[in-house]
Amino acid sequence: MATISETAIRPVVRKPIDWWRWAGRFFLTFLLLFTVLPMAWMVLTSVKSQFAAMQYPPQWWPTEPTLNNYFKLLDPRNRIGQEFLRYFWNSFYVSLLTTILGVVVAVPAAYAFSRFRFPGRNFLFFAVLVRNMFPAVVFLMPLFLLMRWMGLVNTHGSLILTYLTFGLPLSIWLLKGFYDNIPIQLEQAARIDGATRFQAFLFIVMPLSTPGIIATSIFSFIGAWNEYVYAYTFLSRDHQMTLPVGIQRFFTEFATDWPGLMAATFMMSVPVVVLFLVLQKYFVRALTEGAVKH
Amino acid sequence: MAEVVLKDVMKNYGSLYAVNNVSFTVEHGEFVALVGPSGCGKTTTLNLVAGLIPMSGGDISIGNRIVNDLDPKDRDIAMVFQNYALYPNKSVFKNLAFPLQMRKLPKAEIEAKVMQAAKILDITHLLERRPRELSGGQQQRVALGRALVRDPAVFLMDEPLSNLDAKLRVAMRSEIKRFHHNLNATVIYVTHDQLEAVTMADKMAVMHGGVLQQYDSPANVFANPVNTFVASFVGSPAMSLIPLDVVGKGTDVALKSPEEGWELPLSAQNARKATASSQGTVVLGARHSTLKLHKSPVAGSVPGKVYTVEPTGDVTFAQVFVSGAVVNVSLEPTAPIAPDEEVFVEFDQQRLHLFDGQTTNALKAA
Repeated sequence: MATISETAIRPVVRKPIDWWRWAGRFFLTFLLLFTVLPMAWMVLTSVKSQFAAMQYPPQWWPTEPTLNNYFKLLDPRNRIGQEFLRYFWNSFYVSLLTTILGVVVAVPAAYAFSRFRFPGRNFLFFAVLVRNMFPAVVFLMPLFLLMRWMGLVNTHGSLILTYLTFGLPLSIWLLKGFYDNIPIQLEQAARIDGATRFQAFLFIVMPLSTPGIIATSIFSFIGAWNEYVYAYTFLSRDHQMTLPVGIQRFFTEFATDWPGLMAATFMMSVPVVVLFLVLQKYFVRALTEGAVKH
Repeated sequence: MAEVVLKDVMKNYGSLYAVNNVSFTVEHGEFVALVGPSGCGKTTTLNLVAGLIPMSGGDISIGNRIVNDLDPKDRDIAMVFQNYALYPNKSVFKNLAFPLQMRKLPKAEIEAKVMQAAKILDITHLLERRPRELSGGQQQRVALGRALVRDPAVFLMDEPLSNLDAKLRVAMRSEIKRFHHNLNATVIYVTHDQLEAVTMADKMAVMHGGVLQQYDSPANVFANPVNTFVASFVGSPAMSLIPLDVVGKGTDVALKSPEEGWELPLSAQNARKATASSQGTVVLGARHSTLKLHKSPVAGSVPGKVYTVEPTGDVTFAQVFVSGAVVNVSLEPTAPIAPDEEVFVEFDQQRLHLFDGQTTNALKAA
């Protein structure tokens, strides 16, 4: 038997430097810094004191890190804490309701688009997309007038309705892709095995479309959570404000409290980031589902 | 177990008739194969029996009960799908248990029945796995298992073997046949593979363009195809069909090649059939095994030219051009024959088929 291993006789080839590859890496590094630095600066500023934040030249690394800003925001005993928690709750409540209602509507709608042939199916399906072809601001005045006519101005209901009109088209499209990928034979098998049409949907199709439902939920939630213009227009009372509007109003009333603002902003991004990190594998799956055959 | 009766069953999508006036009866314990090329309506017919799509007309009864308007779940049927349709998020055990759970059986009974079915199909060691962790053959068994746990009146199978590789398909074919034999089950089996139908079924229903062409035992369908479609569909290689003109009168009748001018005298029996043709044209049909090749003309032979020679080991198939049509002839593997050779094809008057050139239906002696 030969004892020389194959690696020993493999010729050494010096690879030429691949400049394109290095250019790509450089670009990606730049992109990474571009996105991460503002966030890092946000976190760093949020643990500085007001004095340290305003220093020039800036303190790159806080010399006396403090969590006071966070305590202040989360303490329901002072005015700042009360308002911040109220805004947080408002945002959470509006986003959650938007998400739940969105799923409740989008799931049957997407299923119907995927499974049933009915007159006007294609027209309706593309009609839901039309909304997404215009910038959101275009609808600001019409929707405001509509809400006023319905007496919904200065209620959270107006926001939930508006956010639904933004979130639903994408949710329906995403979910339809999911349902299209679930073989109809599974439902047929379930119906033969003794399930009604609805039971087949509930027991067989729903569990399989969970990733899609989760992904669309995140979409709706993030969309509603971050929305600013409509919340700013439709709501005028202090206690109704959602976080994006509330933070901005709250901290510009007197002098800008930069560390406090950054702490509030960080707190605001936490739910979104957590949601995204926990559920990101579903998210990616939802967006790529159907791209290739399994 | 029960018999299934289809009477004038129709299914149309607008002006397209997917299933057109199909009637046949599946006796209790019979294995019936619905066979035909893709798009012939066989799967639609099965789905109508299953109740997965609504009928446009006619009646279907299962076990003396009209089921036209019943939901699939109330028809007492089980179905095996081409892609198996195993529930991907459930373990094998739960897949098998699902039909029983939907019928609200007690837990202990479900367990007992699932174990029994798993034992029959030899899948007890797979019960905890998910369907995607199984091989194609194992998935096939699970699908069969899910059908048989419930002891339904009728088993419906929609091309259950077509996703398997060739070797496994042959093995599963005999297993399904055995399964039918052991359970004495009523089975309706859809396939596009006539060989599966011929080897497995008690009766086969040949469909074409939504219309039932012939419903008989495989042996009868093979021996007496009712028209040229059935003749060319059943059997491998297919029956060779040559369109010819009828010349002569009385008992002295011959078939004449419109292209090459030769004449083939017919026996008295065949002559009576040929004269019954509607337009004086017939299609001559012959199975490969009834034909003989000669190097020089003999009585009752016609000239042809060899196109290809295909040795398969046991037997060699030659394709011969006769009057513009391709004729399959089986030969000894040692037969000395080469492409482009001029040969003479001898027909067996007892075993040739005559079809009407116009209607394509089999001719009967007048």
